[in-house]
Amino acid sequence: MQVYSPPLRDMRFVLNELHAGDGFGDLSAFAEITPDLADAVLTEAARICDGVIAPLNRSGDEEGCHFEDGAVRTPAGFKAAWDQFVAAGWNALVLPTQWGGQGLPEALGKLVDEMVCAANVSFSLYPGLTNGAIAAIDGYASDALKATYLPKMVGGEWSGTMCLTEPHCGTDLGLLRTRADPVEDGSYRVSGAKIFISAGEQDLTDNIVHLVLARLPDAPKGVKGISLFLVPKFLPDAQGAWTVRNEARCTAIEHKMGIKASATCQMLFEEATGWLVGEPHRGLEAMFTMMNAERVGVGIQGLGIGEAAYQAAVWYAKDRVQGRSLAGTKHPEMPADPIIVHPDVRRMLLTMRAWNEGCRGIAGWVSRALDAEKHAEDAPTRTRAAEFVALMTPVVKALFTDLGLESASLAVQVYGGHGFIRESGVEQYMRDARIAMLYEGTNGIQALDLVGRKLPANMGRNLRGLFHPISAFIEDNGAYAGLAPFVTGLKRAFEALQGATAMIAERGMRDPEEAGAAATDYLRLMGLVAMAFIFARAVKVSQARLAEGTDDAAFYTAKVQTARFFYDRLLPQATAAFLAIKAGKASTMALDEAAF
Amino acid sequence: MSTSDTIGPVKKVCVIGAGVMGAGIAAQVANAGIPVLLLDIVRDPADRNAVAAGALKRLEKAEPAAFMSRKAAKLVEVGNIEDDLARVAECDWVIEAIIERLDLKHALYEKLEAVRRPGTAVTSNTSTIPLGHLVTGRGEAFARDFFITHFFNPPRYMRLLEVVAGPQSDPALVARISDFADRTLGKTIVACKDTPGFLANRVGTFWLQSAVNAAFELGLSVEDADALAGKPMGVPRTGIFGLVDLVGIDLMPHLKASLTSTLPADDPYQAIAVDHPLINRMIADGYTGRKGKGGFYRVNREAGKRREAIDLISGEYRPQGKAAPIPGAAQRDLKALLALPGKAGAYAWAILGATLSYAAALVPQASDDVVAIDVAMKLGYNWKYGPFELIDRIGVADFVARLEAEGRPVPDILHVAAGRPFYRIEAGKRQVLGLDGVYRDVVRPEGVLLLEDIKLSAKPIIRNGSAALWDIGDGVAALEFTSKMNAIDGEILKLIGQAVPLVAKNFKALVIYNEGGNFSAGANLGLAMFAVNIAAWGEIEKLVGGGQMALKALKYAPFPVVAAPAGMALGGGCEVVLHADAVQAHAESYIGLVECGVGLVPGWGGCGEMLARWQGIGGQAMPGMPKGPMPAVSKVFETISTATVSKSAAQAVELGFLRPNDGISMNRDRLLADAKARALALVPGYQPPASPTFRLPGAGGKAALTLAVEGFRAQGKATPHDAVVAGHLADVLTGGEADLVDTVTEGDLLALERKAFLALVRHPATQARVEHMLTTGKPLRN
Repeated sequence: MQVYSPPLRDMRFVLNELHAGDGFGDLSAFAEITPDLADAVLTEAARICDGVIAPLNRSGDEEGCHFEDGAVRTPAGFKAAWDQFVAAGWNALVLPTQWGGQGLPEALGKLVDEMVCAANVSFSLYPGLTNGAIAAIDGYASDALKATYLPKMVGGEWSGTMCLTEPHCGTDLGLLRTRADPVEDGSYRVSGAKIFISAGEQDLTDNIVHLVLARLPDAPKGVKGISLFLVPKFLPDAQGAWTVRNEARCTAIEHKMGIKASATCQMLFEEATGWLVGEPHRGLEAMFTMMNAERVGVGIQGLGIGEAAYQAAVWYAKDRVQGRSLAGTKHPEMPADPIIVHPDVRRMLLTMRAWNEGCRGIAGWVSRALDAEKHAEDAPTRTRAAEFVALMTPVVKALFTDLGLESASLAVQVYGGHGFIRESGVEQYMRDARIAMLYEGTNGIQALDLVGRKLPANMGRNLRGLFHPISAFIEDNGAYAGLAPFVTGLKRAFEALQGATAMIAERGMRDPEEAGAAATDYLRLMGLVAMAFIFARAVKVSQARLAEGTDDAAFYTAKVQTARFFYDRLLPQATAAFLAIKAGKASTMALDEAAF
Repeated sequence: MSTSDTIGPVKKVCVIGAGVMGAGIAAQVANAGIPVLLLDIVRDPADRNAVAAGALKRLEKAEPAAFMSRKAAKLVEVGNIEDDLARVAECDWVIEAIIERLDLKHALYEKLEAVRRPGTAVTSNTSTIPLGHLVTGRGEAFARDFFITHFFNPPRYMRLLEVVAGPQSDPALVARISDFADRTLGKTIVACKDTPGFLANRVGTFWLQSAVNAAFELGLSVEDADALAGKPMGVPRTGIFGLVDLVGIDLMPHLKASLTSTLPADDPYQAIAVDHPLINRMIADGYTGRKGKGGFYRVNREAGKRREAIDLISGEYRPQGKAAPIPGAAQRDLKALLALPGKAGAYAWAILGATLSYAAALVPQASDDVVAIDVAMKLGYNWKYGPFELIDRIGVADFVARLEAEGRPVPDILHVAAGRPFYRIEAGKRQVLGLDGVYRDVVRPEGVLLLEDIKLSAKPIIRNGSAALWDIGDGVAALEFTSKMNAIDGEILKLIGQAVPLVAKNFKALVIYNEGGNFSAGANLGLAMFAVNIAAWGEIEKLVGGGQMALKALKYAPFPVVAAPAGMALGGGCEVVLHADAVQAHAESYIGLVECGVGLVPGWGGCGEMLARWQGIGGQAMPGMPKGPMPAVSKVFETISTATVSKSAAQAVELGFLRPNDGISMNRDRLLADAKARALALVPGYQPPASPTFRLPGAGGKAALTLAVEGFRAQGKATPHDAVVAGHLADVLTGGEADLVDTVTEGDLLALERKAFLALVRHPATQARVEHMLTTGKPLRN
């Protein structure tokens, strides 16, 4: 059963306790965001997720979106929920105050995002894509475009989309064909077909602002000839009312495995009026600003579903009684013990729990860096934060979404045969989780981004943000008795990561295929080590709280116990990843194509 | 300096004419340790030596430096030709380098004939006047002792010397002076026939003119022209227009006038020696290149130091643009370059087709020797390949076919080649095609030993990705670095570790020698930085400790080790030199411990070796050092903390990077043979040095050094991180916690070095410095 309730205690731990002393400091821009205020925001967010958004998850999946005469109707209840969501300003939590947003830190915003994704990942895509479009317009568009579009988009009256993919090109945008021809008044006529456009058409907002990648007539071939255009669904009439229908139309919606309540549209632009965003031929740069932010957001989707799946599994494991504990009867008053007594069920539950807590901790760290990148007062800190975000973005995207699917699958497993039945609610998590590993760059592409771009960038300097704090932690904390087993485990995994990094740098320089063959395992290894570091820090904080005395001993004790499970049962995967990397490309590339 | 090379027949030289060339030649003679008399005319009766004295003053400030040391500058004595001409009798060689006017030269020779000692060589540095004209009117004895020695500018750095002997010249005297110029002045001698422009300028002028013409004709931008005519052809990146800017645009009409007036009317140069109105206008307006208001390129200071280039069609300056990209294959392969479509390929052929066939036609007219023409262009114009080597790279048959297809004359030597290459490797020897169509071995001058030649017929004893060990004969092995920039990495250290027992078993001595432009730019910082980024502190510790062990293994090896640096020997490269028993350095050696510049301290034993030298441990003390531990420490601290690099081998002696009794080779090609001889001389009764112990001032000394640094900080001469780095360096050099009464061992100093290095490498400011150096090649002053 879908029983999601936001894990506020762990969120407060991540927000207020875990990352003190991570080097990004307290940002004066957010001085007025006290823990109490932040807590109030989390509590209110939990309320709307629980009360309004989560109840639409199953029904939205069953009903799906409707496409009739070029119009898209979202499932029942979505429009009302959207209006309520926007009216309370949840869509604009972290958006700039200049355009009417609330200007809260990402460290808080990403926790709210996690709740929305856990409650209803289809719903989350409507505000999520709009925020990406807002970032691109705010970063690259002319002042006139900003003033015209941003207040309405931030206000939630209008939404945004990203139109990249075409029927024949996805990852390789160099093949893109959509055209933009300049018109004398300074606008452009945009023509071409786009597919996989989330919320390309819907009934939630009055207008839809499409950001479209297209080529100018004089554009060079390949990715260096792509420009970005703003193409609204409605244009203003002579009176300035937005009534003129632009030639940007939805021609169909996709029939999908999951996220059925999110309208995935095929779009046709036929000499649609649009305006250039940023410089000619530099559109990819603007789009990647948006894309990088989106990639972290997609990672959060994985985490959200993982958490929802975990909670559904725990509910069932306590509710379902079957057989007796291997150690003898635990609940003689019942006809059988609940299945949570079984080690293998506990293994599954703890695996999900550890993945979720680990990812949440990493997300909290990266969110703080996102805030520091924008708001730190000194330039070196901003640079350091930006480099850390750049390094961790592919890790967050791919690791979190891989683990989100794993957790959803484990939830189905905990349910046994019932998990395969729609009414159980957990098979939807599996279907909804699958897309996050694919869009905004498949997880394979994330791994290539990590080894091909992020690792060699600035001669490896981006690595410092992750490697140096871990190294310092190992050096500083090995002597504490309570931490020793964690430091030992962290050190072993970290040395594997160092070794693998040096190996890939050295081999990859000679032979890019070596780096390509190691990429996915390397990303996983880095994610595991980052998670091990997060757990070690969590243990350190928790042990200190327990030692000084706390009325929340259960939380901190559970944190340490979860960490121990992670170190005992999950971190050994780092060794496997290292051995796989060490093996090199030979066996991967040996089999003749014809033999497949 | 002690070098056997200076003992020759020439003990004193007179240079007449203190212009740029004459003064530069005088400086190079002085650099070789030979006293030189520099004479010019009397312009001011009250200050009769003013012209030559002024030239000497300019020499002392010249950039790049003309003198290798202050001592050398003192060997130049100035005078004037009215009062001092008789003093040529003191000299064994008189070099005339006055203005290129035959009447003035004749007048001077007439006077010289009267005062010079018979047997004293008189040579002219003329670049344009035929030898036959110069000796007109002189007696037979003068003509016997007279010939042409044509130096290139700047004389210290350009290795080419064209020697033109006439039918009357005494071959023995020509040989004696040539040998002196070779061994003592370090020049490579190219014998030329007495034809206009000799070899290098004859080909070089034709090349520049044809390349300029073609750029105008094809309507190329100067950026595109230089990109095509530079690196892809093995020419310095200045290309054509950048080079003309460098030498002076106003020189072009002079070269042209002299060649057109002396070359026969049917010489192909006559046809291409055209004037370009734009160039004439630029010269008239003072746009003569870098020395003038600007040239084909300029930096526009009014537009915020914007780099601009001239448009060859409109004649207006515009912002400098990026040259059109040249495909990778065409950057490496001449055939691919010539096959480029459009203007690019056309331009490449316009230059190469014309210039290479012109050069080929100079055989036998200007030289019988293909090698001489190649060497002249390589050393006189810094071409990577000579004209015949370039033809080989295109392919003789293809080259001839294209000339024939275009109906252009094919020079005889190309018919002689008959499709065969000019050079080939046969039985491990490099051979060259002769006029008779027969290949003969390329013969190096006696006493020239090159790894390049050894490699043709031998395999290394051991090798890995970064180093190799060679047998160079007579029981001597040579260790060569083969990494990029000869940067020292773990592989080199590993090979040193393997080489020591091998050499001990099978050889008498070891020479450490690299044939590229630079001995070594130091440790591989890129690798170290990567290790820093992934917090692999253990690996860095291993690299530092491993380097110390490897260099001490060389120092205490049971056989003599001679380092033979040339060019840069910086940081770790310098430390390799410091650990050798003896050094044979090329005169152009730029040696220094530059670690502080990147926020580090020497970590491979450089600190201890420098202290030992300045404290006079295990050898003679540096001259003029007061007693007590502190003066040497201060001196070494000053040298290392300011990352001082010697501007010559002579200066490296002054700084203590070389010992006073280390050898200096003036001629780069003789360095390996000289080093080998030095190593063999050390073999009889060789005993490895004893491990030194030091008396060091400890905390008190460190306080004094730190105070001095604080002073520089206060004056703004030292940056905050300079002070941090200097603090660590002071800690090492003063012996850390040592006390004056303690003895500090070499091992103690190595441990201090490791500690300081590992502390600094973790410092963010040091990391920023290293990164900045790796990305920009310039130091960061943070």
